[in-house]
Amino acid sequence: MAVYIDINRCIGCRSCEVACQRVHGGHGHINVHYVGDYAAVPVLCHHCQEAGCTMVCFSGALHKEGEVTAFDVEKCTGCGLCALACPFGVVWTDKLAHKCDLCQGREEGPACMATCPANALSDDFELAARRARERSARAVALGGRR
Amino acid sequence: MTKVLVPTVCPYCGAGCGFYIAVEKEKASGIEYMPDHPVSQGALCAKGNAALEILCHPERLVSPLKRRGEGWVRISWPEAMDLVARGLSQAKKKHGPRSLAFLSSSKCSNEDNYLMQKLARLLGSPHIDNCARLCHSPSVVGLNRTLGAAGMTNPIPDIASSRCIFIIGSNLAENHPVISRWIHRAKDQGATVIVADPRATPTSWMADIFLQLEPGTDVALLNGMAHVIIKEGLINRDYIDRSTRGFEALAEAVKEATAERTAEITGVAAEDIVHAARAYAKSPASSILYSMGITQHSTGTDNVQAVSNLALICGQLGRPGTGVMPLRGQNNVQGACDMGALAEFYPGYKKAADPKTIQYFSAAWSVHDLPLGPGLTATEMIEAAAAGTIKAMYIMGEDPANSDPCSENVRQALESLDFLVVQDIFMTATAQLADVVLPGAVWAEKEGSFTNTERRVQWSHKAIEPPGVARSDGEIICDVARSMGLQFDYPHAASVLDEINRTVPQYAGITRERLDAGSIAWPCPNADHPGTPILHCSGFNLADGRASIVPVAFRPAAEAASSDYPLILTTGRVAVHHNAGSMTRRSPSLISREPDLYVEMNREDAAALDVQDGDEVKITTIRGETAAIARLGDRVKKGVVFMPFHFPGTNILTTETTDREARIPEFKVCACNISRRD
Repeated sequence: MAVYIDINRCIGCRSCEVACQRVHGGHGHINVHYVGDYAAVPVLCHHCQEAGCTMVCFSGALHKEGEVTAFDVEKCTGCGLCALACPFGVVWTDKLAHKCDLCQGREEGPACMATCPANALSDDFELAARRARERSARAVALGGRR
Repeated sequence: MTKVLVPTVCPYCGAGCGFYIAVEKEKASGIEYMPDHPVSQGALCAKGNAALEILCHPERLVSPLKRRGEGWVRISWPEAMDLVARGLSQAKKKHGPRSLAFLSSSKCSNEDNYLMQKLARLLGSPHIDNCARLCHSPSVVGLNRTLGAAGMTNPIPDIASSRCIFIIGSNLAENHPVISRWIHRAKDQGATVIVADPRATPTSWMADIFLQLEPGTDVALLNGMAHVIIKEGLINRDYIDRSTRGFEALAEAVKEATAERTAEITGVAAEDIVHAARAYAKSPASSILYSMGITQHSTGTDNVQAVSNLALICGQLGRPGTGVMPLRGQNNVQGACDMGALAEFYPGYKKAADPKTIQYFSAAWSVHDLPLGPGLTATEMIEAAAAGTIKAMYIMGEDPANSDPCSENVRQALESLDFLVVQDIFMTATAQLADVVLPGAVWAEKEGSFTNTERRVQWSHKAIEPPGVARSDGEIICDVARSMGLQFDYPHAASVLDEINRTVPQYAGITRERLDAGSIAWPCPNADHPGTPILHCSGFNLADGRASIVPVAFRPAAEAASSDYPLILTTGRVAVHHNAGSMTRRSPSLISREPDLYVEMNREDAAALDVQDGDEVKITTIRGETAAIARLGDRVKKGVVFMPFHFPGTNILTTETTDREARIPEFKVCACNISRRD
């Protein structure tokens, strides 16, 4: 499982950033980036199947647990290789590594997903595509939007 | 360790999102979302997520203070009450009750506002107002006149069933973020979204049709759309005949407002105007959402009436998915107005100038000599203070020294008062000017009802105690009243709501007990009434049950670009800040995301001035100057610049010119000049 983004819906309000920081003691793992004046994209851990961060982590702190790219803080040496290896720039280090833990222990699931005012984040990989298909099906059937 | 979840209503915008405060050992330990909330469904924006940061903020006011020289000394509550009673009484005795003015707060509960206006009026002063004056007073005037009720006509979730959503003068994606989920839901069902705004914003990202009009040309645009709708026969003739009056006059008034003519004035392509007009008129259910971009103009009331006209000629009212929706900016602007914290209305929108109103409240409050209004509005109070006719003011939860236009004049006016008492949670710019400062409580530290932008009344519970010896605002007002010799026996907020149930007909059935089971939308005339989520389903609360179509002519904004001031400055909000910023600028996770005052400029304008992205620039208007960081882009058109008003610098620049009826200042248009600072 990971958190997926419907880019059509993101309004760049940064709620996910503040929520993530709030539930992780001030260390946020999601970042909203503005693309020109036309779009905003929240960037966060993809929980890659073959995760670069786990491959370079010699201490075994970053590792795969099923689909999740998990992090064992006890084993982290703070070397920073993971931050270099992550192609999305979403693993970062100060003294230790920080990354999305999908709000482990939070019964209701990831805070960013719950708090997103625009319903742009979900754990359903298919959702954005399904919404797009439904919109186009409707447009075809009704002869366009307008 | 036991953890209790206390349900509260978010203290920021008017959407009225709910969340729980987790309380452990009498401390607020966190926020839990509220998935079953009818509006927010568990979502919260950045400000909501950061709300707890102001609870134990080190700068909170924790004790009453009195001025001594340049500094402050802590005093006890009895001494504070003594000083306040003396200050207000002296002015009253020397200059009469009309030398007193009161500013109530759209951040405070219905009960607090009810008490504040009652205090003002029992002391004999008609001068009570709240900062709705600076945001939605044209909606109160305009919508009362055209539709007979000043409120959002349909609930927020209802937007999902709209088939065409016309957003004009509102950047709701940043200012009321949760509303965007309902808009997206409508879009999923095939709805067309039209956005009219001088700026491209995250709201216009949602648009199918984006009308980037020149600031201050809203009436022209709306009249132009009405022209197209009438010309193409897209009006709802049945509805016009059955439910309105005044259509013929409008048809005559917009005869010349062709799409081409409108295009010249507004800068919007004629075909887009036609396109938008058709989409709005043809859809089976269209709604109009508007906000400060409509109201904060010298033509604010006209703008609101032009919005109403459009809805009325198309019959887009009184059904699910339709409506006219003024989006309120603060958690209780709607409630503060409902409670009569307004110069021209007693509670329940009973006209202050009507002797019957005075009779009604004299009986209800068992008093005589209630002042006949209208009193001075918030902006007029400041002028009167400067002119010396207002001698003493009691300001609760408002920061006019920051939030009013031309703030240097405001500062001088407040300094010239004989006595100023400010009740707030932080030492705001206004509190700095006071003789006595009283420490109030934030939403989580008191209980009470709040009315969100949809007229939905919700009860917010007390989670924790206020810091130091700070007290709930209702308690403080009652104490001030008693120290002035008035009978104010309200042991708790519920007892005030009890009186509201008896005196405000719209709230008659919204009792404390019922609010435990959930929210209720006013009007709710009795305890068995379910409330009224959608207004105007069967006629209007005006003569013959008909709405009024009131033609309005386009008038340009008060200030136009000139050779000395060649750029048009418009102001607004950003997602991570709120209003004058006294809360959000103190909230670490918000201020860190938007730390500086900036001015958004078009790249072409910037290039001509040799300004690069990130440069510090000086913005000058005829009233003053301020510094800001230049932010370049294509969000604003050439000739237009934008500044957020959350920082003290912005309102040094804005104009004091007001709407002639609603007295709202024209925050959205003024002429300015920009230069590099070096």
